[in-house]
Amino acid sequence: MIALLTGMLSTAVLAGGVLALAALGEVLAERVGVTNLGVEGLMSLGAVIAIITVVATPNPWLGLLAATMAGATGGMLFAFATVIVRANQVLCGLAITFLGLGLSASIGHDYAGVPSPATFGRVPVPGLSSLPIIGPAFFGQNLPIYLIYLVLPALAHWVMFHTRHGLAMRAVGENPAAADAAGLPVTALRFWYVTLGAGLAGAAGGYLTLTYVPVWSEGLVAGRGWIALALVIFAGYRPFGATLSGLLFGLITALSFVGQARNWPIAPAFLNMLPYLGTIAFIIVPVVVWHRMRRIMAAPAALGVPYHRDVR
Amino acid sequence: MAGTLQRQPTVTPARRLAWRAGAVVTALAITTLFLALSGRDPRLLADLVVRSTVGSRFGLEDLALFLTPLLLTGAAVTVTGRIGVWNIGAEGQFYAGAIGATAVGLFLPGPAWLVLPLMAASGIACGMGWILVPALARAYAGVNEIITTLLLNFVAGLLTTYLAVGPWHDRVTGALASTGRLPVRIPEIWGVVHWGFPIALVIVLALAWLTTRTRWGYQITIGGANEQAARYAGIPVRARILGVMLLSGGLAALAGVFEVAGTVHRLQGGLANNFGYFGIVVAVLARGSCLNVLPAALLMAFILNAGIVLQTQQLTGSTVLAITGLVLFMIAIADELAHYQPVTVRPATVGPITVGKEARP
Repeated sequence: MIALLTGMLSTAVLAGGVLALAALGEVLAERVGVTNLGVEGLMSLGAVIAIITVVATPNPWLGLLAATMAGATGGMLFAFATVIVRANQVLCGLAITFLGLGLSASIGHDYAGVPSPATFGRVPVPGLSSLPIIGPAFFGQNLPIYLIYLVLPALAHWVMFHTRHGLAMRAVGENPAAADAAGLPVTALRFWYVTLGAGLAGAAGGYLTLTYVPVWSEGLVAGRGWIALALVIFAGYRPFGATLSGLLFGLITALSFVGQARNWPIAPAFLNMLPYLGTIAFIIVPVVVWHRMRRIMAAPAALGVPYHRDVR
Repeated sequence: MAGTLQRQPTVTPARRLAWRAGAVVTALAITTLFLALSGRDPRLLADLVVRSTVGSRFGLEDLALFLTPLLLTGAAVTVTGRIGVWNIGAEGQFYAGAIGATAVGLFLPGPAWLVLPLMAASGIACGMGWILVPALARAYAGVNEIITTLLLNFVAGLLTTYLAVGPWHDRVTGALASTGRLPVRIPEIWGVVHWGFPIALVIVLALAWLTTRTRWGYQITIGGANEQAARYAGIPVRARILGVMLLSGGLAALAGVFEVAGTVHRLQGGLANNFGYFGIVVAVLARGSCLNVLPAALLMAFILNAGIVLQTQQLTGSTVLAITGLVLFMIAIADELAHYQPVTVRPATVGPITVGKEARP
């Protein structure tokens, strides 16, 4: 039982890390008022670029960096279209998803089935990692796990809610016209936060192939980008909300793994459906059951609306 | 003051069409450039593409086979778009329709004239059932339908593969990951083109009439243009959202029915072939008009058919997905840029109004 819980929690932390990182990136983009539906494509691109990089130079950190850069490059393309040209965000997001999925499958064609030559190894924290159940899960993992669960969300939270810059950032997402009138650089803030968020989506894809599923295949991301998008709503657009909901969905994924490993009398296909069905349930149920959630967890007011200075 | 660029609130259809044509040409030019850079001869490829699409009878038949599901999934996404809702789940509803049709086709023996309509009814019912929860959540609780409809695509894909590999697996021929051949099929009218094609055409035309010439269609347009105003005017917006989404699910499901009963003749994993996602592209190209779905689906079918040619040239099928994404991206940009027009403004009309003395510089 203890072994089961330990294994499940370890898997949950790994699987959830991918979602948490992508969701955190999307929180940044949505807080400045831009919905980036391209997460799935950017993650896919990051995943394949990470593999290609570590095949060339077997250093997982370089792979993660390359994945981040790939995501950010795609994000700049998206931000150029949606923030500078101010084209429709839903269309551009879907286009980036198609482009990312298609491009990653094309460039990854020769790498399909090649196991990643370098992955992030486990770095157990002395003492803490021998705690029962939570030890191996939280203190016996690879190093980026601390970045994903602790450093990045703490940094994002601090900047977002405790600095003047964070106030400016949130103002741009709530009321860009007022922010503009107050002299804030609306376009620049939106552009760079969308790019940064896309970079994190690429990193999430890279993290996926450098730890959790260390081999490239087409369709590898398998909807994780879309789940991350849903988690942003569930997380109430907050950095630590994104991290915690990532962990929660890691648990659901881990549950389906455990079921398969232990030969539960449920077909693996149905266990694999759990994360998707769980996500749907988790964004519908709170709104229906608990009406106050709608106000507490409200989206930034200007989310998805392009800002034209001359159109009021 | 000379001419400046000014954003116009509306765009004339001719102007938009010109920008969009420019966008498609740009996207194809970028694709050609990439193909040339990867060491392929673009002229040879173009020649192959033309010959295997519009240049030969087999090409035209393939085009019609691609067109059939695209017309239906394109119409499915277009009708929800008219009320301001995105149905990104056409892929899943396509699978649901295919599953519903296969269930009847495999397990209900009978004459084709009886079984085929039952397959269609069962498939459409499954497609509507597949979108029911996202539709209810969107209409009555305001839950974002983009994510809920999309996530169900993965569930539908898993379910289809499970059925094709598991309980419905063909044990006679031992084929991998597929059900047995269905005993009934939609009859062909021209080569491999079956009756699903003209039926899809008629459905799209009927929808064009329904959405623009009826009270129901009017209520949907108003509900999509301004939900508050529509509600104030007594239009049951929520019921209309629910109805349109169910219709959309049924349309996408019918595409799945036709694919199973007319083209593939068995249920197998990956059957939907991204037709649901390409339906979104068709709908975007059609810009909310069901009549425009016809040329839009034709363009998409042409791109898909061209993709088959690229696959024979050692390119993966996913290259088409990337090309489609690029086309969509360029069109999104072009749609916005079409709003900008150079205008000459005379200083007298826009400068500060001066009364008595000169305004300070």
